[in-house]
Amino acid sequence: MRRARPIAWLAMAAVLAVALAVGVADDGGPHTPEERARSLAETVACPACDGQSVAESDAAASRGIRTLIAERIEQGASDDAIRNELVATWGESILLTPGGSGVGGLVWVLPVAALVLALAGVGYVFWRWRGMAVVHASAADRELVDGALAREDGP
Amino acid sequence: MTDPVSTESVTPEPGDDDVAEVPARRRTGLVVSVVVAVLAVGFVAVLATREPATDRRRDSPLIGKVAPPLAGRTLDGGSFDIDDQQSRWVVVNFFATWCVPCWVEHPELDAFDRAHRRTGDAVLVSVLFDDDPASAREFFADSGGTWPVVLDDDGLVASAFGIPKVPESYLVTPSGRVAVKFTGGVTRDGLDRAIDQLQRAAAEGETP
Repeated sequence: MRRARPIAWLAMAAVLAVALAVGVADDGGPHTPEERARSLAETVACPACDGQSVAESDAAASRGIRTLIAERIEQGASDDAIRNELVATWGESILLTPGGSGVGGLVWVLPVAALVLALAGVGYVFWRWRGMAVVHASAADRELVDGALAREDGP
Repeated sequence: MTDPVSTESVTPEPGDDDVAEVPARRRTGLVVSVVVAVLAVGFVAVLATREPATDRRRDSPLIGKVAPPLAGRTLDGGSFDIDDQQSRWVVVNFFATWCVPCWVEHPELDAFDRAHRRTGDAVLVSVLFDDDPASAREFFADSGGTWPVVLDDDGLVASAFGIPKVPESYLVTPSGRVAVKFTGGVTRDGLDRAIDQLQRAAAEGETP
């Protein structure tokens, strides 16, 4: 039974590695310029309405931003360059997904930090359990149990 | 002799309840009056101290930066390019004919345009926002005004200036930088005041 444990851990690690490899290889991202424009517009907030993305909204400002995104993609701009241009005009609030730096970056950093801390905590608890002394039954304990069993088996 | 009217114990008669209720009612009335008076005073204070509906200056990431490109066809069939306006103040106004505050600011813009056409130190340009050129032509024919109106069919100019709604206006310095953003309409006095303030600041050593 004890040999099965490392194999189980190895199998889990292999599954995780394959899942990550598949995730990185094909993230389901946009393939055509239209898909890219749509995907980018979904991350931009409509500046004239509440709680809608530029992709969903039909406000004039959203239509203008959609046109600008499509034009920049056609000109060969990267997603980051387009986002930076929008932020330079409208401010950080134009993005529905927070940026990777400053206070917005906490949104990305905190979950990872929480995961690392949780794993460290679980590891520590396992380490403590392994370090605990195994209690062996003494001769007196065995006598006690034998006596109790004898009484149970008796008449 | 027995006192015919005893003051020690007066048993209330059924009708006496009304007498006891009068002070309570008065008290309630007084409390309600005070609450209404406080609310009225607060309302007046809010109205008296709130920002005016026009000439509201708003922060914008564009302030201090070079003005976005503004070039295109105009309503009268000509063309306009902000780059041709170097060394003059430029008021870039975004408007639509379906926007009531735009009707309100129109005579003010007209007065500003007439005054600065004479002096030649500032130019006014409007950008049509989400509107039909035919409606804009009719609007200008009815309301007056001869300044250039740039058509922005694809909304790219409004996007470059970060315009979510109209009316909004920007004041661009003679060196081509965005200085002030106004929302909710402008007045001739508000625009002139902003130009004066920036010119004074420039004279004191800050470049407008």
